[in-house]
Amino acid sequence: MRTMTRTTIALLCLLPLAATADEPVIPAQKYVYCTVCHGIAMGGNVVIAAPRLAGMDEWYVARQLEAFKLGWRGVHPDDAGGHEMRPMAAILDDAEIEEVSAYVAAVSAPPPPLTLDGDAQRGAAIYASCGACHGADGQGNEALGGPPLTGLNDWYLQTQLEHYVSGVRGSHPDDDYGQQMRAAAELLPNEQAIADVVRYISTLGSN
Amino acid sequence: MTRDQITRRHFLNFVGAVGGTTALYQAARALDLLPETGEMPQLDLKRVGRGEKRVLILGAGISGLTAAYELERAGYDCTILEASHRVGGRNITFRHGDVVDEMGYPQVVNFDDEPHLYFNGGAARIPGHHERAMHYCRVLGVELDIMANDNRLAWTQDDESFGGERLRVREFTTSARGFMSELMAKAVNANAFDQPLDADDQERLLAFIKAYGDLGDDYRFAGSSRAGYSSGGFLKHGELKPALEFKQLLNSRFWRMGMHFNEHVDWAAPRMTPRGGMDMIVRGFLNKLRAKPLLHAQVQAITLRDDGVEVVYHHRGERRKLSGDYCFNSIPSHFINGIPNNFSKDYVDALTAMRRGNFFKIGLQMKERFWERENIYGGISYTSQRINQIWYPSHGIFRKKGVVLGCYAFGPDQSNWFERMPPDQRIAEAAKMGEKLHPGYTDMIENGISVAWGRMNHMMGCGNRFEEDQEHLFRKVQAPEGRHWMIGDQISFHSSWQEGAFASALHAVQDLDQRVRAEAGQG
Repeated sequence: MRTMTRTTIALLCLLPLAATADEPVIPAQKYVYCTVCHGIAMGGNVVIAAPRLAGMDEWYVARQLEAFKLGWRGVHPDDAGGHEMRPMAAILDDAEIEEVSAYVAAVSAPPPPLTLDGDAQRGAAIYASCGACHGADGQGNEALGGPPLTGLNDWYLQTQLEHYVSGVRGSHPDDDYGQQMRAAAELLPNEQAIADVVRYISTLGSN
Repeated sequence: MTRDQITRRHFLNFVGAVGGTTALYQAARALDLLPETGEMPQLDLKRVGRGEKRVLILGAGISGLTAAYELERAGYDCTILEASHRVGGRNITFRHGDVVDEMGYPQVVNFDDEPHLYFNGGAARIPGHHERAMHYCRVLGVELDIMANDNRLAWTQDDESFGGERLRVREFTTSARGFMSELMAKAVNANAFDQPLDADDQERLLAFIKAYGDLGDDYRFAGSSRAGYSSGGFLKHGELKPALEFKQLLNSRFWRMGMHFNEHVDWAAPRMTPRGGMDMIVRGFLNKLRAKPLLHAQVQAITLRDDGVEVVYHHRGERRKLSGDYCFNSIPSHFINGIPNNFSKDYVDALTAMRRGNFFKIGLQMKERFWERENIYGGISYTSQRINQIWYPSHGIFRKKGVVLGCYAFGPDQSNWFERMPPDQRIAEAAKMGEKLHPGYTDMIENGISVAWGRMNHMMGCGNRFEEDQEHLFRKVQAPEGRHWMIGDQISFHSSWQEGAFASALHAVQDLDQRVRAEAGQG
């Protein structure tokens, strides 16, 4: 189990039932909002383009909420899903971002289903360069700012890679990590390469 | 008995004898014995004893309330869980102090605290042929008023025609019909019709065309009093307004929209609305129901069992479990993926194939009823701008203030455009557009709210429906999965109408009744 912050532990102590693998962590009332779109256990909902968030690293969730808040994400005209998300992040203050990130990190959900085709073998070769920041097993590297990639929906990985390539994401001048990722994504030659690397990432250990 | 004599009843008796009651019930479904008519069905539910059958109802919108009302009358015990802070679903009337619970943009309604200053943010109009809606208004004691929809004195405005200037609806409509009639008269005189017409027919047809477009004796359109006079008409001879330029009429989008909206089966005049706000229907149900909906109760899991349905929900930090014999579920189909369940893949695939809509409305409190000074009392003005429409209240005529619908937007180009802005900016943009219909409009706005159905908490959409090529999946989502029925306007071909919600709930109630009868061996 990942290290929990004090906030996480405080949140969990409030729960009347112990959260087990089958029973999702109950969020504080004001964060029930998150589960409406992202699913009761943060397992994601492809129908409304809300990605699986269960078990994401707390620091990364916080950073993305900040990114939405600052307008690094969710302002590009072609980013319908991001637009939908942005106002939710924008009303959170720092303490709330900390709380909600701890909540997201504490939730567990079944692994995401595979929905896309791709060649994992070709993807493995492409992934070699991704591993430098995201870890050989996709486990992430906080020191380098590379989030874990395991446990994400394949359709979400695909959309985000496309967004990096097209500049929908990672174009804001203050978004250093986003710009880094954008440069990396530009090395993916075509849609097939994206599909292949996403397929490979889906084979990496789940959280 | 010959083969021809096998009636459906015989067939069902045969199936019942061989396959037992469940097979009988399934066969009845397959034969579609539950008829589809536009009429309010005569419900004759088999009574069950108190405490005998429990139904879990998920969602306290119109469909959930209707199901609870009818089932309670037949003796069922109902439990209603509602995820949001209120009852009614998309039947919602906003008044002073209410909250618009939009994701990220919560708003408080600042209308003055007066009974006539309210805004129906969802359902707003009931036509007389919506028999179920009318039935429930009748039995719940909901008073209805006629509501103007078509108002020939309202405005039409299109940036692409008549230099963007506003025109009275009556001027546009009169000229458009005049020109069309002139064309038709020429076709008759040139014998351009395929159907043979004798001299009498031809004469009657020409008379009809003349009356339709108010043509002159020469069968030409040269203006009509239907468009209003340019001067006089009461104490002086009325001077006709000249016909409008045909090319400008064609350029306008009004004939694609408002001009013919009033021919639509559900929008044609007259229409009705509950006195005091649409939510009088919701209040009516609450007055009659034994079960009080539990608010802030979000469903966490749905598990179908052979003998019932189990629902886990979350209420103020606690997780609770409920068991019922049956479950009626009005949760928007686009959320099903996010709620743990043991539904079959086919069922989930069908439900998740539906697409959500995102209608968008703005309600504005105006400090004066300036439209009444322009001879407009109720009805709708139409514009090519993203606000689409302005609705004037049919109630409260001559009062000082009124709440106007300042925008009714549909689809990505309109709804999404507004949704992406914070509420204040939405109202500022809608105000700018309103200026083209009513100069000085902005200064009249005291406050307002926007209702983005695509962003409302626990809704995130409205008007769910299948794409045309996927309508074959409808039967799948309408049929129960085990002891679980999906309900709501989404399970109807009248999505985004209350009538769809009533119809779906009644269908499910009748279906449940058939099953209960079958299980009791009284098929």
